[in-house]
Amino acid sequence: MFLARIEGTVVATAKHPTLDGCRFLVARRLEADGTAAVEPNVVVDWMGAAYGETVMVSTDGDIAREKLGNNTPARMVVVGLVDAVQQPAAGSAA
Amino acid sequence: MRLGMVRGHLTLTPAVASFHGRTLAIVEPVTMENLRAGNGQGGGKALIAVDELGAATGQMVAFTEGREASNPFWPTPVPVDAYLALIVDTADVRP
Repeated sequence: MFLARIEGTVVATAKHPTLDGCRFLVARRLEADGTAAVEPNVVVDWMGAAYGETVMVSTDGDIAREKLGNNTPARMVVVGLVDAVQQPAAGSAA
Repeated sequence: MRLGMVRGHLTLTPAVASFHGRTLAIVEPVTMENLRAGNGQGGGKALIAVDELGAATGQMVAFTEGREASNPFWPTPVPVDAYLALIVDTADVRP
């Protein structure tokens, strides 16, 4: 699982049939120092994540298979919206 | 899933039975910078993905990697590690 920032949406007419009706978002994985990954990911969202929001993404397809069937290629799913991250300031005693 | 630009297709002869009759696309992953620019460039390391959607060269797609890439063939086990799941009509990314 990792944190990601929502940076956009994806619209796709032609898709695997199990993905009909899914909401697809462009998400960028965040590092511990807050920098974002060079390559974006497309994630499935059932939580209603908004642009700019930080979310937690799971790369395990179990949730997707449960909702969309065993044949679904969906893998990255938004599993929660982050409202707070506790991280001591860099250099402080751990 | 990652986003990619389809750069071409390939055929295998011979190939293991799982790949008989499959369409294989060469996909170049797209970086955030190129996605924002909308310049049709990729920027990532190219890979091969199974294509059942009929994506054309130059189209943007989203592909699944890992174990989930073989789910569409469930319950048959296949050695597939990348699968085109979406042909992207529009990717709306804000600045």
